[in-house]
Amino acid sequence: MSRIGVFTCHCGENIGATVDCAKVSEMCQHIPGVVHSVDYKYMCSDPGQRMMQEAIKEHSLDGVVVAACSPRMHEPTFRRAVSNAGVNPYMCEMANLREHCSWVHEKSEATTQKAADLIRVLVEKVKHNTPLFPIKVPVTKTAMVVGGGVAGIQVALDIANGGHKVILVEKSPSIGGHMSQLSETFPTLDCSQCILTPRMVEAAQHPNITLMTYSEVEKVDGFIGNFKVTVRKKARKLDEKLCTGCGLCIQKCPNKKISDEFNEGLGTRTAIYVPFPQAVPNKPVIDTLNCTFYKTGKCKVCEKVCPTNAIRFEQEDELVTLDIGAIVLATGFKLMKTEAFPEYGYGKHKDIIDGMQFERLASASGPTAGVMKRPSDGKEPETVVFIACSGSRDRSKGVPYCSKVCCMYTAKHAMLYKHKVHSGKAYVFYMDIRASGKDYDEFVRRAIEEDDVKYIRGRVSKIYEEDGKLIVKGADTLMGGEQVEIKADMVVLATAVQSNDRSEELAQTLHVSYDTYGFFAEAHPKLRPVETNTGGIFLAGACQAPRDIPESVAQASAAAAKVLGLFSQDQLTREPIVAVVNRQAGPTFSYCVGCFLCQTACPYQAIEQEHITARNGDVIKTIARINPGLCQGCGTCVATCRTKAIDLQGFSNEQLYAEIMTL
Amino acid sequence: MEALKQKAKELLQNGDVKAVLGYAVGTAGVRRPHFARNPKQVDALVLDEKCTQNLATYLTKHEVKHLGKVAVVALPATQRALLQLVAERQLRDDAICLLAVDGGEVKTLSSGAEVEQHLALKTDAMPAADKAMIEKLMAMTREQRWAYWQQELSRCVKCYACRNSCPMCYCEHCTMDCNRPQWVPVASHALGNLEYHMVRAMHLAGRCVECGECGRACPVGIPVHLLTFFAEESTAKQFGQRAGHTAKLDYALSTFKPDDKETFIR
Repeated sequence: MSRIGVFTCHCGENIGATVDCAKVSEMCQHIPGVVHSVDYKYMCSDPGQRMMQEAIKEHSLDGVVVAACSPRMHEPTFRRAVSNAGVNPYMCEMANLREHCSWVHEKSEATTQKAADLIRVLVEKVKHNTPLFPIKVPVTKTAMVVGGGVAGIQVALDIANGGHKVILVEKSPSIGGHMSQLSETFPTLDCSQCILTPRMVEAAQHPNITLMTYSEVEKVDGFIGNFKVTVRKKARKLDEKLCTGCGLCIQKCPNKKISDEFNEGLGTRTAIYVPFPQAVPNKPVIDTLNCTFYKTGKCKVCEKVCPTNAIRFEQEDELVTLDIGAIVLATGFKLMKTEAFPEYGYGKHKDIIDGMQFERLASASGPTAGVMKRPSDGKEPETVVFIACSGSRDRSKGVPYCSKVCCMYTAKHAMLYKHKVHSGKAYVFYMDIRASGKDYDEFVRRAIEEDDVKYIRGRVSKIYEEDGKLIVKGADTLMGGEQVEIKADMVVLATAVQSNDRSEELAQTLHVSYDTYGFFAEAHPKLRPVETNTGGIFLAGACQAPRDIPESVAQASAAAAKVLGLFSQDQLTREPIVAVVNRQAGPTFSYCVGCFLCQTACPYQAIEQEHITARNGDVIKTIARINPGLCQGCGTCVATCRTKAIDLQGFSNEQLYAEIMTL
Repeated sequence: MEALKQKAKELLQNGDVKAVLGYAVGTAGVRRPHFARNPKQVDALVLDEKCTQNLATYLTKHEVKHLGKVAVVALPATQRALLQLVAERQLRDDAICLLAVDGGEVKTLSSGAEVEQHLALKTDAMPAADKAMIEKLMAMTREQRWAYWQQELSRCVKCYACRNSCPMCYCEHCTMDCNRPQWVPVASHALGNLEYHMVRAMHLAGRCVECGECGRACPVGIPVHLLTFFAEESTAKQFGQRAGHTAKLDYALSTFKPDDKETFIR
């Protein structure tokens, strides 16, 4: 016979004002199996907990029901208290008298009766409780960072400096991301590459960091602390160990007219190339789609000139499987292309460019070496129109959100243009100026007041070409919607920040949630901003939502802190609320018949096959096994199983049945 | 018929299979299952319109599994049942040997893929009488339908013949045998009967191959097969897929597909 104690809490006035706690306590005295029942003003307080512990000892209790607030609030508190008194913590259950009773009902006889009923249900459950023990899972103390932009680099450096191994996976041939393409950064106008490249080199040289550039995540198995990640190392077509990065192959490559991605199509590159001179690692790749050898079978100039014989035309992609403890996603964003704007000419005007193209035009390492020349004819543009919110906050473009960085970089662009072309005129069309950040508004004011950038509040309806000029037609809503027409030489669209191309696919590979726009979803928008719903996978930077550099870096360090916290322990402790497949003696071995319908139902891929073998190794029966490290205790498999071979520890069929049948 | 016997003998003589499972004439002329374990026993095989039983039911039994590979004289429903059993990993794909008789011709189907192909040529519509009955029931009001089933199920003696005859009820330990907790009362009273038949229908939704064996097995003549037929039809309507058409596991009720209809969430 059970010896159960019931402890009813008044929660000050929260429960006490609506429920007659003394009466409830009295009623509970008579439930079979209950040997002790008391009420107290604050059960969670120190004297309250001490009272419980003394009662456990005095009455030799083997089960406890605390009738108080939500288990989400104080279950850990009471389980710890019970555990300290020598009873297994999972023999303690909470009846939620506050949220489920006193807060939602008026004071009445019936409310008190309901409180007593709630307790009665839990007493029946506790009678069927069994002692449970936390599950220990080992932790592999190696992190993987996916994406080598500024966020990814920061995460990698922070974790590496914390003393753990990091593998930094980047899909393009060099780390650096979008930040390496920028000319100057707001609000200080310091050179982007000057602050980023030292970080890139630091990451490359750090003894704890392994760079895997030109690589992509192919498959992720396992669970927090114990992931198995398969990475596809795309063939660079050269032996990285032999290559010294001398660049002779690039100089001699005859195929020089390929549109350069790093310069956003404003420049050209060769078929064997490094994205930019400061690339890390400084080892070229062969673009097999454009290389003459792969197209015609002849050329191999690079192979002939290479002083170390590093070129490997026959090299294939390589799949590498790694043991990883934590994954940080820092896969960044993409910009909406100018092609998406029919009203601005579908991208067919060469002089209508996007923000990133302007960055390359303004950059000292760009195709014009930082001299302002418009793409069509190389002339210095005398009038430039900047259009903020191009696509952003525009439902018709499918982007209702604010891209966050455009207000600031548009001000920066206008400034950079004015600094380079003193006589030039810069106009900015905007909806609102959103410059909330340290020194941000001051920066925009500086553009308007010191650099004489003309800000026009209104939208641009149309741009067309006439006599070599781009006619920008818009409205000035601060002048009562007056029509504005500007003859411009170049137009810069601050196009919307969007989730990266394969982000949804990646999210599905990793089983993390994502929003309508393909940005990865955080576990809680305020309190868990860098965690995902999947344990051991974290987020940093613009893969979660549009972010600027300071935010990306801050978030990166936050994610690194989470990873270091995870790695600070040798074993992870998990709640034993997991499903288990029934096992018993032969010849049945288990009620499970191995139909594996549960496997398709499990949202966490926690169900695997287990072969029951005879002594000679013959398989007698194949049944389901639930990996306790992966199981989240959702119970879907329990409901799917026709033979009731699966049960959820802590919420077993027997417990729930007893709860229902007592009502 | 001769072609079938010829094929069966061949298989047994070559040692391709350990037994041929088909039909023979039993007491009072009924057709009963017959295991021919040597060429001599093949002569007792018959195949006519009176042979209706779904023989796939036997293949998951321990006694039959111990025999080794068994060739089965397979009606279309038996073929569907076999595919579903392979999908649910109760039979191995290489353990399949079906003898499908089409006119005078005997076809040997020896893999899930072959059965799939063979079945794709067939349109095995539900018997007209069953279809008419389901339509009649659906035309009733809820109250009338409830009264109809109460009346029908009141005759159930819980002999579990419907369960035992069903090829998809292969569990070694049925929910009905589960007594901790005792989900369904053992006695054959109104509540116990209703719960049993509801649970059975739900367990077969998306898995029923519509052979109607349960209805034929019922000793008191309750049309229990209409319940599983209806569950299967509803699943097919909601999710656009039927059991017994592929050897790959594709269980409508445990998988999510973006194009699933959401009409049932109201």
